[in-house]
Amino acid sequence: MPIINFIIYLLTMIGIYSLLAMSLNFQVGFTGLINFGQVAFFCIGAYTSSLLVVNAGVPVVVAFLAAMALSGIFGYIMSIPTKSLKSDYWAIATLASGEIVRLVALNEAWLTAGPFGVMGIPQILKDLIPKDAYPVFYLLFVIACIIIVYCFLGMLTNSPFGRNLKAIRDEEELCLSLGKDTQKLKLQAMIVAGMVGGLAGSLFAFYIQFISPENFKPIETFLMWAMIIVGGRGNFKGAIIGAVVIQLFNVSTRFLGNYVPLGSDSMAALRMMIIGILIILFLLYRPEGLIKEKKKIYD
Amino acid sequence: MEIAQILLNTMVRAAELSLLAIGLTMVFDILKFANFAHTDYAVLGALFAYVFNRILGLNLFLAIILAAFVTGWVGILIDQAIFKRLRKMGAKPVTLMITSMGTAIALRNLMRLIWSSHAKTYAIPLQKPLEILGARITPLQIGIIVVGLLSMISFHLLLHRTTFGKALRAISDNSDLANACAIDSEKMIKWMWFLASAYGVIGGSMIAMEHLLYPRLGFDVIIPVFCATILGGIGNPYGAMLGALTLAFAENTVLALDLAPLINLGGLFEVGSIQISTGYKPAISFMILIIVLLFKPTGILRKK
Repeated sequence: MPIINFIIYLLTMIGIYSLLAMSLNFQVGFTGLINFGQVAFFCIGAYTSSLLVVNAGVPVVVAFLAAMALSGIFGYIMSIPTKSLKSDYWAIATLASGEIVRLVALNEAWLTAGPFGVMGIPQILKDLIPKDAYPVFYLLFVIACIIIVYCFLGMLTNSPFGRNLKAIRDEEELCLSLGKDTQKLKLQAMIVAGMVGGLAGSLFAFYIQFISPENFKPIETFLMWAMIIVGGRGNFKGAIIGAVVIQLFNVSTRFLGNYVPLGSDSMAALRMMIIGILIILFLLYRPEGLIKEKKKIYD
Repeated sequence: MEIAQILLNTMVRAAELSLLAIGLTMVFDILKFANFAHTDYAVLGALFAYVFNRILGLNLFLAIILAAFVTGWVGILIDQAIFKRLRKMGAKPVTLMITSMGTAIALRNLMRLIWSSHAKTYAIPLQKPLEILGARITPLQIGIIVVGLLSMISFHLLLHRTTFGKALRAISDNSDLANACAIDSEKMIKWMWFLASAYGVIGGSMIAMEHLLYPRLGFDVIIPVFCATILGGIGNPYGAMLGALTLAFAENTVLALDLAPLINLGGLFEVGSIQISTGYKPAISFMILIIVLLFKPTGILRKK
């Protein structure tokens, strides 16, 4: 039944992008850090876990943890140059960092196989699951990861740490005047976001079983941005809803492409153009997104 | 590579980059946001010039001037449709910046839809390079340097000798005071967009003339342009020119350098000549950008 397989594929991809959108939302919606290089976490996570398993034969669990750790460390490193600077500098520096990561993946062929990509990434627990049930199993695995991340980030944002982050977003100077080390808090936020992004990258690599630098173009970052702008910033439900809307649009138009008399390049261009217009329209007419952040007032 | 060759290549690249950087820095100075669509306006203009030049058969020089004029109006139109509304809504500069990214994506893909992703060239005959002090330079590249210099001078005169330039500088210094002096800032902003877009088109067309023209070009040059702008001190047009010159020099030297002495450490390791792989050429400006942000985020020239 191809249609059911397609739906399971769609849901799995929505799940993986939900994690990426939650990670981005944690940076943008909660801390006010403009990251235009979010795809770097995705890329580092995917390459780290798959190379560890394929080339070094490391157990999958360890590879996943290592991928999360390395993406977290990259989040830290990425924010060092801009930790004391304003959002415009964050935007451009992170855009550059994201491209550097992709160029390294493309050029360091001894490590990453360059443009040919990493092939033969094994399926997790392949021997234990019947072949027909495998897609459903993987989808459930992704959903389990989403639930864990959702609860973890929810707890984190309701903790004093999370309230400090929101304070940075709303009034950084006030936050500084209260003696909060805002630079340290920003770095910590980037580590958390990097780890979630790294997890998403690992899940993606082991689902698709083949990754190449083509999967991590800057346009992925802007898909994630479209998700949080459409879904709404400052809450994780919004990130998931945004991932559903944007991925549904993205994947279904790819599907529809067979029925429209346009070349695949024009079709891709049309799709991205609509996503760009969607970003503009939402920011103009519904800047809070589909799901508005509930602001708590503390007396 | 010869020093003379490096210097000539630097001048060509600096002329191209600085025309793009002055517009970016001007928008940042007046409206306080980084316009990520800036280089895409330039590529749109370069594609207009392609249409005028290849399809209507216009002289390339005229085609670019006409394209700059048309794109100037596109810049105004986009501002009226999008950025002006956001300003009226009292949106933060961050929102404007994110919107400009959305605009860039929409515009870039619109260009891809109309002109396809294939690379294009202008109608320029093959040129025999001239030899100057042992360095090779084509007449086209000499033209790029000359046009670049003339554009800088005209930009300087515009900013200092015309009422418009004076009003613009007044808004940049203190917009409330400028408003109190009956300067119509919305009108000035409108013409500022025209100017920023039009100068960008000249820079973008020059890059397209020297290399290739394709819709993604705007994204490929955005980081070098931002790097030049920040290097020179964001908000300062003369800084942007100086930043472009510095970056262009760095881009042309780093690839020619032999890093072996650095690694050998006086005979500690035996390594032959080591050069940075050309695959990393785009990464040079990214690295310089990050180094500048680490050590001197205010840039070389501070705003007065």
